[in-house]
Amino acid sequence: MVEALTIGRATAPSAGTRRSAVRALSYAFFAMALLFAAVAATLGDVFFFRLATEALIFGGLALSVDLLLGRTGLLPLGQALFFGFGAYVSALTLKHLAPSLPLALALVLVSGTLVGLVGGLIAIRAKGVYFALISFGLAQVVSKIVFNTRELGASDGLIGVPAPVVGLGVASLDTAHAPSFFLLVLAGMALLLALLMRLMDTPFGRTLDAIRTNEQRLAFLGFDPWRYKLAAFVLAADIAALSGALYPMLRGFVSPELMFFQVSGNAVINVIVGGTGSFVGALYGSALLTALKSVVGSFTAHHAIAIGALFVVSVIFFPKGLIGYLAPALERRWSRR
Amino acid sequence: MLDWLQFVLAPQVVNGLSIGVAVVLMALGLTIIFGLLDVINMAHGEFYAIGAYAALALIGMGLPFWWALALTPLLMAALGYATERALIQRVFNSKDRHTLTLLLTFGIAIILEDILKIVFGANPMRIEQPISGATEMFGLFFPNYRLFLMAVGAAVIAVVWAVVFRTRLGAMVRAAAYDRHMAASLGVPVSVVYAGTFAFGVALAGLSGVLLAPIYSVFPTMGRDFVLIAFSVVIIGGMGSIKGAVIAGLLLTQVQSISSLYTSPVWSDPLLFGIMVLVLMWRPHGLFGRLGHG
Repeated sequence: MVEALTIGRATAPSAGTRRSAVRALSYAFFAMALLFAAVAATLGDVFFFRLATEALIFGGLALSVDLLLGRTGLLPLGQALFFGFGAYVSALTLKHLAPSLPLALALVLVSGTLVGLVGGLIAIRAKGVYFALISFGLAQVVSKIVFNTRELGASDGLIGVPAPVVGLGVASLDTAHAPSFFLLVLAGMALLLALLMRLMDTPFGRTLDAIRTNEQRLAFLGFDPWRYKLAAFVLAADIAALSGALYPMLRGFVSPELMFFQVSGNAVINVIVGGTGSFVGALYGSALLTALKSVVGSFTAHHAIAIGALFVVSVIFFPKGLIGYLAPALERRWSRR
Repeated sequence: MLDWLQFVLAPQVVNGLSIGVAVVLMALGLTIIFGLLDVINMAHGEFYAIGAYAALALIGMGLPFWWALALTPLLMAALGYATERALIQRVFNSKDRHTLTLLLTFGIAIILEDILKIVFGANPMRIEQPISGATEMFGLFFPNYRLFLMAVGAAVIAVVWAVVFRTRLGAMVRAAAYDRHMAASLGVPVSVVYAGTFAFGVALAGLSGVLLAPIYSVFPTMGRDFVLIAFSVVIIGGMGSIKGAVIAGLLLTQVQSISSLYTSPVWSDPLLFGIMVLVLMWRPHGLFGRLGHG
């Protein structure tokens, strides 16, 4: 089968061992996250908890990019539009309606679906680089509108967003408490990752893989690629919006910068460095680059040059990304035994 | 009504035209690079900024502005050639050339912008206007530098068009864009043509950087917003179309300039991108065709 768009895909859909290698690396990610939480909680740290939570939240945005880029073969350059949209809806809900996490998530899901549908109807018409540029253009329009709208705080954004308390039956969880919120976000990302990996084993997921591989052949087989692409686009918009919905709870504010190209670009960098098509690679990439930014950033203000260099090197020499190299290595080790 | 035309509309149109030719120069570089190499050069805005800084540095070394204007495009061409040879060529033959080159130039943009911040600092700097004074036309005063900008821009656009469509070199370039294997077998040095084309596009970006530096201040992220306009121009005109870049560039900057009479200039970007999205919905491939294709 001819692979039209592969950008170093980490998983071959048919390879069972590859899937279990990716699954093992997913478990390893969450094990390391829990280990980190245990160490940080023992040390009574807040700063690194917040940083790690931010890495997870932006990891959610990267997951949505990977659904489009790694699975459907569409490169989105404006995914921050939906992330920022979710953040604004969530902030407005928490601030003006009620400080309730389920309410915020529900409203973000509903409105995110609508916005994703509108964006998708516009963007899906274009293919290849035109899709990339139209998604980029849409995000530019919306971010500039938000930037110029005084009712949304214009360039300052919305500040003073309350952190809600989440009732969990017998106990309750305060999102203002850094370790609790980290665990909550971690659980959310684990659920999201599990759902996405499960979804890819369904006929729907297979169809997305087929669109990436050969859209024309899929059409000849009697499928309507447009419908599946639109569904993937809306799903990705929802994932990005829900991830963005968590942001104001972490930082207490939202700003138009969340919709800017830098955020979209960083999400793409996370996916490429982590490994396209594997989903967990998006989380690895986000954690890795947040850590790198923080470490390099403590020495110099010019951490972007390190990120950029890492990105250029990985595009040229390691287009499969971290997971694309770890998973086959793990697989080889298993088959040798 | 006549007063309105003379004192309100005309100055806006001239201002729009002077920015317009610089935008067209940027867009020409982008569209030639795409039309020939299939590369979306995300670093184009940074090359524009480097052009402005190169002029600033050359003037700082004591050279007159005119020397900087002549030397900068040559320096930028060398930089572009080296970038193509050292980096872009490495992913050029990959199956995902579109995506990989887009991502690669995006990475290059991040690095270049940070280098500018390290070398020149983040604060805006200025270049003295090399031509002072204004010329009176139709009872209005137009800054001489803007008139000069329009003349130089128009000349460069004409030269680029003539080189691409009226010379043997241009024919080779178009042949390489249309069918690289056929061109190679006919003796066109395709890889040199590719690197040269990239260098040429980068030189055009640098040239618009020098030309606009005396009007705007020079700062490391100056390319960001400007390249967005150039991108929408290229998309509306049709990726790879020289005619499209010129027409769309002049039209869009006029829309931008005239709309600022009625609304706050902060809305000009949403307006331009709105037009871009509408055009793409109506004609997903832009208004005009590709460089090597008719």
